[in-house]
This record gives sequence, structure tokens and C-alpha cells, in this order.
Amino acid sequence: MALDFDRSIIGSEFDRTVLEPVREEDIRAYVAASGESSPAGDPQVAPPTFVVRIRGRRFMPENMPNLGRMGFDAGKDIDFGAPIRVGDVLTAVSTVHDIYEKTGRSGSMAFLVLRTVVTNQRDEQVAVIDQKMMFR
Amino acid sequence: MSDAIRFEDIDVGHELPALRLTLTNEQVKQYALIARMPGGRFMSDEDARKEGLPGQIVPGNMSLALFSRLIGQALPGAALTRLSATFRGLVRPAHALVVHGVVTEKHCTDHGDLLECDLVLESADGDRWVTGTASVRLPARR
Repeated sequence: MALDFDRSIIGSEFDRTVLEPVREEDIRAYVAASGESSPAGDPQVAPPTFVVRIRGRRFMPENMPNLGRMGFDAGKDIDFGAPIRVGDVLTAVSTVHDIYEKTGRSGSMAFLVLRTVVTNQRDEQVAVIDQKMMFR
Repeated sequence: MSDAIRFEDIDVGHELPALRLTLTNEQVKQYALIARMPGGRFMSDEDARKEGLPGQIVPGNMSLALFSRLIGQALPGAALTRLSATFRGLVRPAHALVVHGVVTEKHCTDHGDLLECDLVLESADGDRWVTGTASVRLPARR
């Protein structure tokens, strides 16, 4: 059965959060937990996937259509821009990037792609993160 | 950086030396807390079973971090410009993991000299739990 939802939700912004300044201890803790290294070993610069710990106030739009019973994290794409440094004040803006349906051997699945664009206090783009959720 | 690999040193087909490791339950819990993912499924076997899972699982973001770690170790001096992962199966702590990759393309672009890599996180038996791709910028000799 084709997905039935109001397509005006696609492209809509559902969260804009300005985060607390990045602290050196945050970077140090992430390096220890992930095993990643800071670029050039500089403890003032975060390793690439540090950006995934950014959380806005809302994870999902309030008017989210019902896509299915269970949601799974299906994947993630990250385009990296300016490195994250100690003291950076990051802003995360999240939108519904896409909703689509696929039919596979196990039946029909709906996919939701949430896009978060992260910028720093100099308006440099730090990352574009597409999180793909699968519902069945 | 003296040990940096140069763009010209790498050919298509170059295999990134595999990362072999077994994550402990505590390492996974600590990562989830630091990465602000406090869901029960990442905290303990007991909490994960309450969510209908077979036991504690590794967050997808931690698999991304393992891919980034592989790139950092295999290509010192490289800058990751894009990372993509598809989560195909549950990655569990206390199971041997192999993370490996291969260079599939080389490009000289306006944004620098880039390598494209295919990445895999799999079990010791070859079950592919996470697959991915990465674009990596390397310094050139010229």
C-alpha cells in the first residue's frame, strides 16, 4: 500500500538548537570512548565523528506521519566541513529531508531521512548529517 | 607531518590494513553515554532484552567511529570529507569484529585529491553487519 501522508512535511524545519561551547574535556572524553584521534593529534580539534553527539531539542517533528510499527536506525551519511574546535558554538538545524517507500523480499518498508546541518559561530558549515530510519 | 601518506602513494585496489577488535560491554556503554545515546539497548544486556533485543548492541554511531578510526590508522594525514554507513545487522559487544576497507577510486578535484573507499565491519566469520563508503582527502607531493 502506498504511503499516504501530507508531503508538505518534506523540507520542513522541526528543530533549531544553539549548543553550549565545545569543551576540551568533551573532545578528550570522545577520543577516549571512540578510539578515534584528533586531526594531527591536536587536542583542541575534535575527531570527525564527534559531530554525531550533537543533539537538538527535538529528535522528530511533532506532526510526524505514522510510517509503521517499529523504527530502526538504517544508516547515516555525513559530509564533513570545517573542523570542530574547542570554544566553537555550534548550531544544529534539523529538517525532514525525505520520506519514501521500498518493497523488498520481506515486504514494504518506509524510510524517513532526517537532515541536520551543523554550523559554527563563523557561519561555516561543519557537517551535514543524514540519518535514515526504516519503518515496517 | 612526516608519516603522512601522499595521494600518489595509493592506487585503486589498495587494501586498508584491517582493524581487529572486540568491544567490551563497558566500552559500548561508555561510548553511548559520551555520545549522548543513553538508550537501554546500549547500556546492558538486561536493559536491551527489555526492548526485545537479544542483548546489548553497539550504537550505529560507534560503528561510524570505527570506520573513521580505520581511515585514520591506515591513511595517516588524510582528512575525511564524507562518511556513509548502512546498518545491516546488530553489532554486539563481546564478539570479534573486523573492520576493513579498500580504495575504489581516485580523483583530482577543485577541493583536493580524493580517494573513495569501500568499508566493511563484519564478524570474524564474515557476516557483514555494517557497510559504508568514505571520501578521503590526501596531501599530494606536487
